[in-house]
Amino acid sequence: MAPLVGDVARFDRTVRSYVFATTAATGRVPTTQEVADALGQVGPVVAEAFQRLASRRDIVLAPGAPNIWMANPFSAVPTMFRVFANGRTYFGNCIWDALGIPAALGADGRIETRCGDCGAAMALEVRGGELASGQGLLHFGVPAAHWWDNIGYT
Amino acid sequence: MLLFRSEEHIDRWCEARGLPRGGVLTPGQGWRLARAWYAGKLTPDWRRKTVDEAEALFSDLGLADPFWRLR
Repeated sequence: MAPLVGDVARFDRTVRSYVFATTAATGRVPTTQEVADALGQVGPVVAEAFQRLASRRDIVLAPGAPNIWMANPFSAVPTMFRVFANGRTYFGNCIWDALGIPAALGADGRIETRCGDCGAAMALEVRGGELASGQGLLHFGVPAAHWWDNIGYT
Repeated sequence: MLLFRSEEHIDRWCEARGLPRGGVLTPGQGWRLARAWYAGKLTPDWRRKTVDEAEALFSDLGLADPFWRLR
């Protein structure tokens, strides 16, 4: 059943909360249909909510598909930024988002990735709300004013 | 936004792609940025930082280069 027009903002908030809570609890970003089933809605209604949330940059949709690609800091697809926290495995969209996962969860975490140049294995660890260990340097290739021009490339 | 072993690896990666060098953060700066940006993201009341707030955060982290300006 579609939400009433006046309830759209509340519905979007419910969808957003469900997406982030489920991702945190499972390590996997839910699909459109999974959100619809959980909220007693039909897929197209949730897809419309996803569009509105994407327009506010709460999420990023997969190109040409109704599903979520990024619920930042989480990635819906495996990436080279693997994060271990709360006994689960998550994927970040980039090294910033990978660090953002223990920050969002309020948990300790270990980030495993590879040097963008040579592919050597690298790791960063967060414990007790602080960076406990980690070497190397983070490189942001796109100036901040242009991050959202093409967020997938960024 | 990638992690590199050193400045030399960043330069080599940029040169190989014909790209200018961008913004570089230490892991400590990266963590402080991530913590400030994403703490509370799972709560219903979380809201995106305004441009002013984001630029103030970058400034607090010592990111004063024009690369970090949002407008």
